[in-house]
Amino acid sequence: MLPAPNPMTFIVLILGVSTFILIMLLPAFLELKKPRDAGPRTIMNNIIAIPQLPTIMEAEKPMLDPTLCQKIAEILVALPNLEA
Amino acid sequence: MIVEILEALFLILTFLMTAYLIRHYVFTLAVLNHSHKREKAAVTTRNAAYQPRVSILIPAHNEERVIGRILQGMTKLTYLKDNMQVIVIDDASTDNTGEIAEGYAKPHNYIEVIHRNQSEGGKGKASALNRGLKQAEGEIIFCFDADYYPQKDIIEKLVAEFADPKVGAVQGRVTVLNEPQNLVTRLVALERIGGYRVDQQARDSLGLITQFGGTVGGFRRGLLESLDGWDESILAEDTDLTFRVHLAGYKIRYVNDAECYEEAVESWGNYWKQRYRWAKGHMQCAFKHSLKVLKSSNLRFKEKLDGLLLLNVYFIPVLVLLSWVVGVLLFLFHPPPWFNIFWALIPISLYSFVGNFAPFFEVGVGAYLDGRTRAYWLIPLLIFTFLYNIPICTKALADLFTSKISGKNCNHWDKTVHTGNGNSYIISQSKVS
Repeated sequence: MLPAPNPMTFIVLILGVSTFILIMLLPAFLELKKPRDAGPRTIMNNIIAIPQLPTIMEAEKPMLDPTLCQKIAEILVALPNLEA
Repeated sequence: MIVEILEALFLILTFLMTAYLIRHYVFTLAVLNHSHKREKAAVTTRNAAYQPRVSILIPAHNEERVIGRILQGMTKLTYLKDNMQVIVIDDASTDNTGEIAEGYAKPHNYIEVIHRNQSEGGKGKASALNRGLKQAEGEIIFCFDADYYPQKDIIEKLVAEFADPKVGAVQGRVTVLNEPQNLVTRLVALERIGGYRVDQQARDSLGLITQFGGTVGGFRRGLLESLDGWDESILAEDTDLTFRVHLAGYKIRYVNDAECYEEAVESWGNYWKQRYRWAKGHMQCAFKHSLKVLKSSNLRFKEKLDGLLLLNVYFIPVLVLLSWVVGVLLFLFHPPPWFNIFWALIPISLYSFVGNFAPFFEVGVGAYLDGRTRAYWLIPLLIFTFLYNIPICTKALADLFTSKISGKNCNHWDKTVHTGNGNSYIISQSKVS
């Protein structure tokens, strides 16, 4: 017969399962955060080749630093209106 | 009495799922054993001189973001242009699909565009393909979805298989173009690796039911016409045609090195729509063909077995859910003695670890054979798509039954949305080169 469950059993069980899941998914999270795979399979060596993963990452980067934009906006507001 | 029924049901479900798990291992090991030998043989025996007239059908419904890409790909094909006819079926599009296609048709006389209006078109892919078939002049009829981008010499590679008169159809490989885009596209790419590099290759190597995937494939025109083209009443028109070809005594060959890029769905919502359609269509095919497969004199025992497993594959997520429910009910109603025996955990653990890992093992081997370095690190995340498929397939089955009972048409073609984001991968590379 299995031992009667007590609070400690549940804590150990939850910790064990959580650790197992974490270990299982850790490589996946690492690869998602910093992809090192060469990307999609290149099927047309002499026609096109798929760019490497960083291409997408660079495309997603904002064009300008938001704090810099804010500073420029503040300066523009402070400047006199020459047309007036 | 209830407990006995539940126990019997649980055992049957476990047996069915074990059959699928064994199949995964058989396919994976077959590909590992035969892949190099088969690919080498395929290249050496390819008949490059055989270049019959071919017609390429491209059904397109509101595909303005991607239609230009595939037509550009068509113009780059190395197949003899005099023997090639490209037919775009502008299927009641409300965007600029037709205009873009006409733009390619003007300078290239082998590209033709069929415009279908709202009353004639918009009834699904099978209907559009049948319309294209009427205009097709080729001896071999190919189909490409609008979001695909073909390899330059793909037609030569696929056509060569038709030199064998027993071959009725041929299927090329699908590779995800926009794989790095996000988690969904990455997981779809892994599924495609398992599905084509392993499943299709193994079926071809073992002489089983190689599947026509609805795109990147072709048929003998005579065979297609004798089968009355695509069945418009089935949502998975590709699976339906696969079985009709096999039942007619012809073979479908899979050519792994005839590759074509596809734009994978980019969101969980679109994933649901696409898989729901596949699941429902596949289930329709299971009801239509299962008995015919069993009775067929053109299929060997192993083909019948594989055919039945393939036809019923979308029922598995539903059975998984059912087995969970039955398992919980068994535990609540009356735990059988073996539940309390510690050593019973051994077969349960073995089943869970060895059995349930079979599909992930399959994908891993596919990634390994493709020479991928770290793509298989993402394999554990496939558990999310596996879990996601449970409600998808359950809803598909429920809707199928509801429509049968109510008599309402359930064949609404919920089109997959293509954003054209895959274009950036081609455009940025052409800038580099």
